[in-house]
Amino acid sequence: MELGVMTKQAAAVAKPAAFPARSLGFRNPIRVGSRASRIGFGPPARGALRRRAAIRIARQRPVRSAVLVEENSSPAMKNKAEPVRIFVGLPLDTVSAGNEINHSKAIAAGLRALALLGVHGVDLPISWGVASNSGDWSSYLTIANMARDAGLRLRVSLHLHADRRPSLPLPQPVDRAVAANPDLLFTDRSGRRRPDCLSFAVEDLPVLDGKTPMEAYEEFFQSFRVAFADFIGSTITNITIGLGANGELCYPSFPPTGDNPFTGVGEFQCYDKYMLADLKRYAEESGNPLWGLSGPHDAPEYNQSPYFGNFFKDHGGSWETPYGQFFLSWYSGKLLSHGDRLLSIASKVFGNLPVTLSAKVPLLHQWHNTRSRPAELTAGFFNTDDRDGYEAVAQMFAKNSCTMIIPGMDLAVGDQLVSQIMQACKRHGVRLSGENSSIIIAGTAVFSKIKEHILANNSVLDSFTYQRMGAEFFSPEHWPLFTQFVRSMAQQQMDSDDVPSKDGRLSLRMNSVPGNDRELQAV
Amino acid sequence: MSLVRWKPVLHRPPRENPNGFPRSRCPPRSQLPRPFCYRKPVSRSVSCSTLPKDQRPRVRPIVRAGVTQTPSLAEVEDAEVLFSETFQLKHSQTVEGKIAVRLNPAEADENGTKWRLTVGCNLEGKWTLHWGVSYFDEIGSEWDQPPPEMRPPDSVLIKDYAIETPLKKVSSPLEGQMLHEIHIDFDSNTPIAAIHFVLKEEETGAWFQHKGRDFRISLTDYPKEDNVVGGRRGFGIWPGALNQISSLLPKAEGSSSKQKDSAGEVRDTMIQNRHISQFSEEISISKQLLVTNSMTVSVRKSDDTDKKIIQFDTDLPGDVIVHWGVCTNDGRKWVIPSTPHPPTTKIFRQKVLQTLLQPKADSIGSWGLFLVDKESSGVVFVLKLNEYTWLNNMGTDFYVPIGRESSSTTEIALDNIAREQPTGTETQDVRNRLNILVPPPNESLEATDPKEISTSPIKSQVTLRTDKAVAYTDEIINEIRSLVTDISSERGQGAKSKEAQESILQEIEKLAAEAYSIFRSSIPSFVEHVSDVEISKPAVKVCSGTGSGYEILCQGFNWESNKSGRWYSELSAKTKELSSLGFTVVWLPPPTESVSPEGYMPKDLYNLNSRYGSMEELKDLVKSFHEVGIKVLGDVVLNHRCAHYQNKDGVWNIFGGRLDWDERAIVADDPHFQGRGNKSSGDSFHAAPNIDHSQDFVRRDLKEWLCWLRKEIGYDGWRLDFVRGFWGGYVKDYIEASEPYFAVGEYWDSLSYTYGAMDHNQDAHRQRIVDWINATNGTAGAFDVTTKGILHSALERCEYWRLSDADGKPPGVVGWWPSRAVTFIENHDTGSTQGHWRFPSGKEMQGYAYILTHPGTPAVFYDHIFSHYNHEISKLISVRNRNKIHCRSTVKITKAERDVYAAEIEEKVAVKIGPGFYEPPDGPKSWVVAAEGTDYKVWETS
Repeated sequence: MELGVMTKQAAAVAKPAAFPARSLGFRNPIRVGSRASRIGFGPPARGALRRRAAIRIARQRPVRSAVLVEENSSPAMKNKAEPVRIFVGLPLDTVSAGNEINHSKAIAAGLRALALLGVHGVDLPISWGVASNSGDWSSYLTIANMARDAGLRLRVSLHLHADRRPSLPLPQPVDRAVAANPDLLFTDRSGRRRPDCLSFAVEDLPVLDGKTPMEAYEEFFQSFRVAFADFIGSTITNITIGLGANGELCYPSFPPTGDNPFTGVGEFQCYDKYMLADLKRYAEESGNPLWGLSGPHDAPEYNQSPYFGNFFKDHGGSWETPYGQFFLSWYSGKLLSHGDRLLSIASKVFGNLPVTLSAKVPLLHQWHNTRSRPAELTAGFFNTDDRDGYEAVAQMFAKNSCTMIIPGMDLAVGDQLVSQIMQACKRHGVRLSGENSSIIIAGTAVFSKIKEHILANNSVLDSFTYQRMGAEFFSPEHWPLFTQFVRSMAQQQMDSDDVPSKDGRLSLRMNSVPGNDRELQAV
Repeated sequence: MSLVRWKPVLHRPPRENPNGFPRSRCPPRSQLPRPFCYRKPVSRSVSCSTLPKDQRPRVRPIVRAGVTQTPSLAEVEDAEVLFSETFQLKHSQTVEGKIAVRLNPAEADENGTKWRLTVGCNLEGKWTLHWGVSYFDEIGSEWDQPPPEMRPPDSVLIKDYAIETPLKKVSSPLEGQMLHEIHIDFDSNTPIAAIHFVLKEEETGAWFQHKGRDFRISLTDYPKEDNVVGGRRGFGIWPGALNQISSLLPKAEGSSSKQKDSAGEVRDTMIQNRHISQFSEEISISKQLLVTNSMTVSVRKSDDTDKKIIQFDTDLPGDVIVHWGVCTNDGRKWVIPSTPHPPTTKIFRQKVLQTLLQPKADSIGSWGLFLVDKESSGVVFVLKLNEYTWLNNMGTDFYVPIGRESSSTTEIALDNIAREQPTGTETQDVRNRLNILVPPPNESLEATDPKEISTSPIKSQVTLRTDKAVAYTDEIINEIRSLVTDISSERGQGAKSKEAQESILQEIEKLAAEAYSIFRSSIPSFVEHVSDVEISKPAVKVCSGTGSGYEILCQGFNWESNKSGRWYSELSAKTKELSSLGFTVVWLPPPTESVSPEGYMPKDLYNLNSRYGSMEELKDLVKSFHEVGIKVLGDVVLNHRCAHYQNKDGVWNIFGGRLDWDERAIVADDPHFQGRGNKSSGDSFHAAPNIDHSQDFVRRDLKEWLCWLRKEIGYDGWRLDFVRGFWGGYVKDYIEASEPYFAVGEYWDSLSYTYGAMDHNQDAHRQRIVDWINATNGTAGAFDVTTKGILHSALERCEYWRLSDADGKPPGVVGWWPSRAVTFIENHDTGSTQGHWRFPSGKEMQGYAYILTHPGTPAVFYDHIFSHYNHEISKLISVRNRNKIHCRSTVKITKAERDVYAAEIEEKVAVKIGPGFYEPPDGPKSWVVAAEGTDYKVWETS
């Protein structure tokens, strides 16, 4: 048994290095360096044991040095000749609420499979709540180690919100403060508290045992930086800052229960005491004190269409009135300034490190063809048919040298919105990464959609993160599609003389027919 | 674990007279190993067939030419072996055993508070107990870690809720057989309410539990536990006050449980104090083993120069019948060989021979010698073990070439080595394995080194399988690694690197499979199954619109029905017939005044005098349907409405009648009609003004109209026309307001095609329909256009494999959301005199055999009911009704091949469509034909 384990590990680490990039066409050509250093061992030994030893020795140095070479050149602007780097998201509950590693064996096998396939790295979600409550980074560090051992890069997502499923908490001091003062949470018109994250209006109030939320965020970033010092810049190449609900820059405007994506317009989240006070102040400053008494009274509810109530109507809706413009500027401004402040803290903490910073925006495509685009408005993007709301967002990202992550690259809808966001980023020189929305609807169509986005002529994506590893991901219905996708991405990016000759080419045996766009529905 | 089993290739049954044969007159043959044809092994093992020298008999039988009897084994012993091949025969075998569960006081205990739970199993295997406990103060059935003092030493914690402890081998003093056992000691004062466990067999990865339920040893009889006993949970081992044990285990009849508990009894004897009773229980289990036997077939020279001797030798237990023939040239057509035939041979159907092999006297297995003509190019055969078990060579017939004699020095060398192989055998292989193809390393090179070569045949025999199951060996990994090494040193050699790539890919596959199996089995899995979510959703208000689930729909009109002007009265003459056919719902044509005679261009919604008849006739018709127990659906057109008047620009956009709307009721993006409403929430219907459902007054008016139809006419539900034109959320609004018994929407858009052929995967298409149903909040069903489309392709092109999706489920909406799918094969638009998308002609009954046996709510088109299909349709409907198939029935696809599709529904009905052959397997159930016709057949259980 002991021997078996060792053998497997040796195999796993040996392969990515000992196996030159071009034979499979998967890996970044820079790794070829490893080959030169192992030639000295002469013809391969016949005996299995000797062979094993040879490989193990051979792998040690080359991998590390390849890492260094690559990282030094990494934070430059995207070079078009370089293939898009593909990452795979690890399960949200990789580290459970109790700071235990879930399914570590499966992740270990999964990491090796991904490495062999030529995936660039993985994305590790780190929960503020889990890390602060335990005060112990060891579980997350173990995962980072596993990724490094598998020869994979790591993107790290620092989530400052709570997750419903799997259930991941906010830190205990936050919970305590919230219990004492529920107004620290976002609140909708009917008074429902949203437990996802802290209201943007309390960020500078010393509500967390004398600290402000901003200070707490900074402390968390610092703690991460210290704990992962060994990895940052080598294994860890990117840090993603969660800017709001679901880790995206937005208000929690989606329905508090039920499934995402929802089909309605969502609701404004400005009804906690502090948001209302801020609105009141803003109204008074702008000379219309009466506008600051509450949020829009004629907006629909979460799951209604824009035409319920008067606020979002295409013609003569309140959103077009001076009041509407006033409210929406304030509401979206709060989101922008929250994003800006959090990103500047992040760049203060991580700025001098050889990692890229990034943050995610939501892709709120529903109702994008109406004039008022209500789903975007309620989430905090003042983007209507006569106002480009992403201009300011891109500017904010540019200012903080932050890469923007656009999710939903797998969706058949939303192209218009994606290209609007991409345009804004292009104008401001913001780099882009892509993500898919959900594996639940994966199928061949989805992968070709993703490819279309990545390979588009004007594409500025420099990485793509596929969410996310789990049983579904490795299922016989899904996995062959994913491998095919990764392979096809690698093939297309290679120079023609890098592609194996005709008879050397190999197609993956797909024993599963494309499919599994499953929308599971119960009877 | 080795992948290869070496078998003694030549089994030697005892000779009656070992030394009684005179020496052959023929010059003694070389005692060197015989040459044999070395064939490149692909998933077969090749071995030589000689025996160690010292045992080699020095005798030669006399085999005279012209002897018409088949030779005896002894006679051929020394005949030169021309070819030999060993086939691995894998088949499954059920092994039965017992799980014993005992709870008694620990021996050395004075206070009597120490108890011991013993779980044992007498089946071979690597058993592990996967267990947890629940504590007193906990609600629900969650598992927890047992307290540390309860954990046996070699236990492994599984997250924070379970523990795994391997069972230890002990020899049972009673039966003298091996037992695997585990003891769990605990103190009765520990606050444990129950111990839960499942048994896991590590080698097969099999879990032993009951239909997903855990074993449960309850240590309390508090009333709150009464759900366990009451049988609602269906399973539990209950050592309560009555020492009652209830168990439903993998094999319930084997349970030695003495009493069946009942909720009442136990409740009566509920004791408020904890009281643990001693008990002991044995439960029969069965385990499927994959057994590997082998069959060695050798071709030998016969002294009869025209013949060759084929020797069969197998270790398969029991009777083995070789079902065989010869083939000539290269064709694999079976021909009966010329006589003489071996003893115990029958000619089967004038095509093949069936020869019963003779049992070996000294060991398990049997053997046989067949004489065949030298001219035959080979022998083809399959093996029959019993009526139900046939063995073939991975899907094809076994084939042994008779070929020509050949020899070469390298082969002799190989032969020599092979003789030194150990002959140890292992006949049971209980692992699922993933074997990969590793091409033989350069034989010619390595053959020069006997030591080296002794391992090479093993390597070369690794078989190729795409089996997804896990288990790998280090050997294989080494093999891959060696190839990797080879590759990197000889890069550029096409073939080699291809092999290496293959190996890497296999390795990737294996890792992925491993990850999959662990992820899948980790219980608090995060992967969301919407189905669970749906089930756990609180039953909101039971919304109307979806009926009882047993509906069978009849479309009560066609495109021509308006022609007579009195359709309502014509149809009312047929109500009794429709009812007796078994229909429960009828869909009537659109009732409103309409610009087009068929009714789909409505004008005044409140004017119900149409080309189908007057409003009074409609009411009478509805009444007469109700009298025969048929519900009635009204065809309502909500997407568009024709205007009465022109506006000042001459555009027809002013409505009259009771609903005198103006251009504000028309969507803004409908340029022809100058609408002033909001933008459309769906697709546009171009021939008439599209209604803007976002307007409150429009929705209010429409709801009122629907309620009026319900009340005034007596409609029970709706067929909603062109629902692509507006948001499903509005439909939900309408359904909730009008509360129909049943509602179905027509969401018809095109399927996806590539180069003129329909794509196999129509998930995007059905997704759109499901999305619509979702938007209505499930209040309405939708016509399953996807299923119709797939049936078209499958039937037209003889591509019945299309009828199973990647998950092995029906590929239409019915595979995803059966209770909301209304399956149909034709309607007034697709067929009738319009024929926009007609069902493949002549194959309609196959379509009906499919939809009338499958889940979903089937709809039958009027034209088909009143046609020569009437009788066949009626038969299918009665099969559906008799077997109580409903829209949520489970379906198991048993075959989806080029020319035949077959499925079992609810395990009560089996159906096949397509020209290919299919019979449902006889098992515990016996099937009788319930309906049949051209290229379809339906069975039900008798």
